[in-house]
Amino acid sequence: MSHLQSDGVNEELSSDVVEQYLTFSLGGKVYGLAILNVKEIIGYGDVTEVPMMPDFMSGVIDLRGSVVPVIDLSQRFSGRPTEHTKRTSIIILEVKNEDLSIDIGITVDLVNEVLDINVDQIEPAPALGNQIQTSFISGMAKVNEKLLILLNIENVLSIDELSMVGNF
Amino acid sequence: MTEDSFQIFADECEDLLMAAEHALIQLEEIDSVEGVVDAISELFRTFHTVKGAAGLFGLNAIVEFTHSVESVLGKIRERELDVDEKLVSLFLLSRDHLAELVENSVKGNLELDQSLQKVDDQLIEQLNRYLVDTSVNDSDHTNDSSSNTVERVNGGVENESWHISLRFGVNVLKNGMDPISFIGYLGKIGEIRSVTLIDDAIPQWCDFDAENCYLGFEITLYSPDATKEVLEEVFEFVIDDCVVSILPPFSHIDGYIKMINDLPEEDMRLGEILVACGALTSQEKDGILNTQDHISDEITARGEPDVVPPLGVVAVDNMVVGQEVVDAAVKKQENVKQQRSNAQQTIRVNALKLENLVDLVGELVIGSANSQLHASEIENSELKEAMENLLRLVEEVRDTAISLRMVQIGETFNRYKRVVREVSRELGKDIDLIISGAETELDKTIIEKIGDPLMHLIRNAVDHGIESPDVRLKAGKPEKGTVSLDAFHESGSIVIQIRDDGGGLAKDKILKKAIEKGIVAENHQLTDQEIYHLIFEAGFSTADAVSNLSGRGVGMDVVRQNIESLRGHVDIESGIGIGSIMSIRLPLTLAIIDGFQIRVGGDQYIVPLDLVEECIELEASLQSENDGANYINLRGEILPFIKLSEVFGTSIEQCKKHRENIVVVQFAGKKAGFVVDELLGEHQTVIKPLGKIFQNLKGISGATILGSGEVAMIIDVPEMVNRVINFGQNQFSTPRSIH
Repeated sequence: MSHLQSDGVNEELSSDVVEQYLTFSLGGKVYGLAILNVKEIIGYGDVTEVPMMPDFMSGVIDLRGSVVPVIDLSQRFSGRPTEHTKRTSIIILEVKNEDLSIDIGITVDLVNEVLDINVDQIEPAPALGNQIQTSFISGMAKVNEKLLILLNIENVLSIDELSMVGNF
Repeated sequence: MTEDSFQIFADECEDLLMAAEHALIQLEEIDSVEGVVDAISELFRTFHTVKGAAGLFGLNAIVEFTHSVESVLGKIRERELDVDEKLVSLFLLSRDHLAELVENSVKGNLELDQSLQKVDDQLIEQLNRYLVDTSVNDSDHTNDSSSNTVERVNGGVENESWHISLRFGVNVLKNGMDPISFIGYLGKIGEIRSVTLIDDAIPQWCDFDAENCYLGFEITLYSPDATKEVLEEVFEFVIDDCVVSILPPFSHIDGYIKMINDLPEEDMRLGEILVACGALTSQEKDGILNTQDHISDEITARGEPDVVPPLGVVAVDNMVVGQEVVDAAVKKQENVKQQRSNAQQTIRVNALKLENLVDLVGELVIGSANSQLHASEIENSELKEAMENLLRLVEEVRDTAISLRMVQIGETFNRYKRVVREVSRELGKDIDLIISGAETELDKTIIEKIGDPLMHLIRNAVDHGIESPDVRLKAGKPEKGTVSLDAFHESGSIVIQIRDDGGGLAKDKILKKAIEKGIVAENHQLTDQEIYHLIFEAGFSTADAVSNLSGRGVGMDVVRQNIESLRGHVDIESGIGIGSIMSIRLPLTLAIIDGFQIRVGGDQYIVPLDLVEECIELEASLQSENDGANYINLRGEILPFIKLSEVFGTSIEQCKKHRENIVVVQFAGKKAGFVVDELLGEHQTVIKPLGKIFQNLKGISGATILGSGEVAMIIDVPEMVNRVINFGQNQFSTPRSIH
C-alpha cells in the first residue's frame, strides 16, 4: 500500500522538478552551471602562472591553504583569453574524478544569478551550430525567451584530459 | 562487533605477526637450546594471543589454523621436536597464511575462498605431520598434563566439569564485545555441558538501556585437558569490567560458597541454578547454604584473600588449585606489567591526527610569514623583536611536528632479511644481508612507499647480482655472497644504498639489449651512468637472466616511477666482477622544507635550500667568453647552466636588462646553474601538492604559499639538473667533457 502511494508522489513531482543553476556571462554569452557543482565564487586576483602549461591553464591560486588550479574558460572554449575587468570572477567548482573530488576554478566575465529551471524547460544540446564542443554542453534552457547554455562540467574540466597536458 | 574493535584486532594481529616473523628469522641464529626454547615460548605466546583474539571475534578459520601452529610450537617447547630449517620455513609460510586470513576477515569474509582454503588445508596437513609421529596425547598441546589434572580434593564436589560463572559488565556491548562469542570460544576448548542464562540484572523496562549488557551465565564445561590459565585467557579482554569465577572440576566446596557470596543474585536462587546445571548436587547445595556464613568467616581469617590476583578473578581457587597455577598467574601479571611499561614509551596515534597536526603547522608557518611581512612594514622595534621570537618558536614547533612523523627505517630493513633468506635458498645461493644505518629516520609516508621498490631492488641483487657459488669460487671470491643495505643522510636527502658483491652490471649486454629493443639508437654515445639507467626503461629485461623471481609484477620502470613519485632518484655504480651499488636518494620529508626563494620574470619560485650550493653573479664577461654557450668556468670547473626564464617561457619583456644571478645547485654529485632574475632569500616552504591535473608536469615538484598569499612553484631540482646536463650534451659533440 505504502509502496503504491510513494510511486504516486514521485510521478507528481517528476513533472515539476526544478533544478538550480548558477548563470554567468562569458564573451557575451550566458551559461549555466548546476549549482551542486559550485563551491564558491571569489574575485579574480593573485593567480600564479604555472610554467610549461598550455594557455587555457591560467595558473593556481591559494584558496585558504590549498593550491587550486584556475582554468581560463574562454581560452578553452574559443582560444581567446579572458579580458580581466573588475567583475571578472573565479567560480570554484568541485569536479569528480574517480573517487576523488577535485577543486578547480574557472574564470568568467560576470556572475549573474541563481535560476530555478524546470526540467521540462531543458532540451538536449543541438549537435551542430555551437561555437564550443558539443560534449561540453549538457543541455539548453529557455529562460525569459533567452537561450541559456548549460555546461557539462565533468567534460569541460575533464581531469584526465587536463592532466594529459604538461608533457614536454 | 564494532568496526573499531575489529580494527584494533587487525592492527594487533599485524604487529604480532610482524614480531613472529622477526622471531622466526632469528631462530636460526640462536645456538643454545635454552635460547631456542625461550624464543619458541615467545612465538607460542604470540600465536596464542592471535588465536585468543580471533576466537573472540568468532573467526573460526583463524582459530583452527593457529591451533595447529600452536600445537607444533608446543611440541618444540616440550623438546619433543627439534627446530630445523624446513620447520622454520613452514612456520614462515603459516605466518603468511595467517596474515592473509586476518586480512580476509578484515574484508568481512567469514568464509575462506577456494585458494585460501587450499593453502589452509595443505599447511595444516604439513603441520599435523609433525604432531602425529611423536605425540600420544596430541589434544594436550599447551601444558604438561601433570599440572592440569586437578586432584580430587578432600571435600570436593561430585562434579567432573569446570564451572564458570560469568557476569558481564554493563559496558561490554559498548566496548564491542559480544557475550555469545565467549561461549562459542569456550566450546572450542571443551564440551559445554550446560549454559544457564542469568537475567536477573535486567532492570525495569523504563530503566532499560538497549546498549547495556545485563546478562550473566552459569556454564558447565567438560574439558579435562584445559587449565585454569587457558580459561582465564578466554576472558582476558573483558576481565576489567566483568565478574568471572572459574571453578575447576571437583573443586572444594568452599569455592562454591565463595562464588555464591560474590555474585549479586540471591543465594537460594543461585544454589538452585547450580544444581540445575549440574554443578552441585542438591545435597551439596543445602550444605553450602547452611554453612556458608561460618565458612566465609573462616576464609577471611585464614588470610587467603591476600593471594587474590588483582585481576579480580576467583580467590578461592587458590585453596584447591596447585601452586603451579598461582605461579602462572603471578608470572602472567608480571608480563602484563612489563607490557604496560613498554607501552608508556610510545603512544599509538591515529596517523590522520598526525597528518592534521603537520598540516596545521604548515598553515602556522604560512601565517607567521604573512605576519612578519606586515610587521616589517611597520617601524616598531618591539613588534619586530616579538615577531622574531614568534618565528623562532614556530620554527621549533615545525621541526618537532615533522619529527613526529619520522620513523626509523630499521623495521623496514628487517623485513628484507626474510626475502634474502628465501630467495637465496630458492636459487641455491648462500647470501648474507648486512644491515647498517637502521636508526636513520625518515618520514613515515616515504617509508611506506619505498618498501616495494626496495624489495624489488634487493630481489634483483640476490637474483641477478650475486653469482652462483661455483662461479664465485672460480672468480676467487668467497662462496658466500653479501648484500648490504645501508641508510644515511647526505646534504638534506636520505640515501638508501643496496650494495652487492656480485658480478656487476654487464654494460655491453645492457647496451646490446637496449639497441635490440629499440630503446637507444645504434651508434648513440652513452655514458656509463646512462647505460646503467637503461635497466629502468619500460620493457627492458635481460632475457637470459629471467627466473621465476624476476617479473613478479613490478618492473624496474615501476621501481623508478615509484621512487620518482617521492621526489627521489636512483643512481647506479657498478664494476664488472666487483658488484653494484644502487643509491636511492629521497627527500627527508614531504611536508615542510627550507626553501630558497628566487624570482624569474614576474613569478617567484622556490629551490630546496639543501640543494643550493652557492649563488654567483652572471657577469657579462663570463658569458661573452663562451659565445652564448650554456656553461661557465666556475673556479676551474665547468658548470653547465640553464636560463629558467627560457625554460619557463616567461615573456621576454619582463626580463629587462639587469644583473642576473646563477644559483648553483648540486644533486647526487652533479652540479648545475640556474640563471634567475633575482635572489629573494630563505623561505620556510610548506609543500602543497599540485594535484592530479599537474601530474605530468616535469620540472616543478609542487607549490607553496608565500607570506603574501601568492602561490610559488617549487623547482624539481633533480629533473632540472638532468635537463641542464642533457641540454649541454645536445649542444656539444663531446658530452663527456661536461661531467
